[in-house]
Amino acid sequence: MGIPGQEHLWDKEVKGHRTYNDIRIFTDEQLKNYTEEELKNFKPKHDTPMLDELEKGPWPSFVSDIKREALHRKKLAQDDMMIPRDVADDLLGQVELSYVEKETHWKHGGIVGVLGYGGGVVGRYSDQQAKFPGVAHFHTYRINQPGGKFYTTDWLRGFCDICEYRGSGITNMHGSTGDMVILGTTSDQLEPIFFDLTHDLGVDIGGSGGNLRTPSDCLGKARCEFACFDTMDMCYDMTMTYQDELHRPAFPYKFKFKFDGCPNGCVASIARSDCAFIGTWKDDIRINQEAVKEYIAGKIPRNGGEMTGRDWGAFNIQEEVIERCPTQCMNWDGNKISINNGECTRCMHCIDVMPEALRVGADQGLSLLFGAKAPILEGARLATLVIPFMYAKSPYDNIKAVVRKAIDWWTEEGKNRERIGELINRVGLGTFLDVLGIPAMPQMVKEPRSNAYMFFKESEVPGGWKRDIKDYRKRHPA
Amino acid sequence: MGKEEIKKAIIEYLSKGAKSKVYFKDMLTGVKKTIPDATVSEVKNAASEMVREGVVEYLSTGSTTMYGLKGRGISAEEAGGKTE
Repeated sequence: MGIPGQEHLWDKEVKGHRTYNDIRIFTDEQLKNYTEEELKNFKPKHDTPMLDELEKGPWPSFVSDIKREALHRKKLAQDDMMIPRDVADDLLGQVELSYVEKETHWKHGGIVGVLGYGGGVVGRYSDQQAKFPGVAHFHTYRINQPGGKFYTTDWLRGFCDICEYRGSGITNMHGSTGDMVILGTTSDQLEPIFFDLTHDLGVDIGGSGGNLRTPSDCLGKARCEFACFDTMDMCYDMTMTYQDELHRPAFPYKFKFKFDGCPNGCVASIARSDCAFIGTWKDDIRINQEAVKEYIAGKIPRNGGEMTGRDWGAFNIQEEVIERCPTQCMNWDGNKISINNGECTRCMHCIDVMPEALRVGADQGLSLLFGAKAPILEGARLATLVIPFMYAKSPYDNIKAVVRKAIDWWTEEGKNRERIGELINRVGLGTFLDVLGIPAMPQMVKEPRSNAYMFFKESEVPGGWKRDIKDYRKRHPA
Repeated sequence: MGKEEIKKAIIEYLSKGAKSKVYFKDMLTGVKKTIPDATVSEVKNAASEMVREGVVEYLSTGSTTMYGLKGRGISAEEAGGKTE
């Protein structure tokens, strides 16, 4: 079990593996300390008529959850909580005030983490501390989630106990960065939480500020037949390789790695990360012609069964697959399906509809893209495909070499608060490709050049040129 | 050029100027004025060590991170917790 050469880390005696019973803080009675009847009659500290409206819809409500937590904390002894009892109550009060006044009462910034770490904690304070003392400090704690977001129930219970004891008891599984988030704790609890997380749960804190943010991946080969590389292994490897960048900020702004095992993009790396790794293949889509016929005969449900439960009519391969191919690279002759693989753009539609008949190719690796971000001012920017195919095998040295060049260049050339995608946009994709030492592809050309003032390098012109300035001055002496 | 020289340059840069908290890139530029050959990683390593020694401290704006000399200007805790 574990990484070759590191098996000893999993040895119970060496690692000190702990179960929930070894580290639990609360008893079962403390965790279930109120009845549904008590909840029904519970009157929170503040009146929250606007928030109460949010409980009336058909969906689970965060307001109901926070009220539960407020009641739960009310019935715990003060010694069982290291931060104010009223934190959940005052949170509701402050959010209600913001809804009424239509402006936030949070201030964020200041502290960054624990000693020696330059990220992982987002400082958050109330600017209405007299009214809502329970949320005077309400810092967010980011925790580096496990690959594929797999945990044991023992681990989750231990984590929730820490959130309850040293925080508000409110968590976010998962934040938009992918991290597990402890929402709301005080400054004096930051170091103790770090100690508990690292010693009892064996996890590190995540990234925030101008550094590498917590890398995030899909569950990859652990459960998904479409995965073209081992996302969990690569995410872990890259997290360990770039530890210093994660914890000690020296970047102009945030930088995110995200790993999608296939072009379905379950973690949306193409839209959400500065450096996106998306699994792909370079041979042909594998076809099982017999299974295609079984789909048509209705023996295998289309889309992996997700369209069952309603009558959508018989499966029509022509309409539902062939005509929906964005590059029209597929053909069904009534007996056999064929694909012009050179034209396939990896939209995954056909594979998703008939996963037992069509499979991703066998020669697998990943595409490397740079520069996505979801900005407030300019509109979303999708990542640019820089390398269409690279093999992705541990220790991933071929990939790290390219990534390192890109990060070093951005650190040197990027302006403060400029993401790598914006830098590429500012200086041009050609410059970025030069930095990486990668030739441009025709597909990278968006439109013909409109600027007549173009400088070529001698190496770019066949035959080069000789330029003798003395000879020029002889002919143009003035 | 050793780490101690870079540390001195960092202290010198962070002690002067109107701003008590600066971006890493500005600090790098400042250090390079004194030590032109200093690399990004050398300055980063020296600064990280100074954070551990308690000479320099980080300050977050929420989305980015800044560096400052401990004791100069507002502290990280005060920056967020201070109420006007």
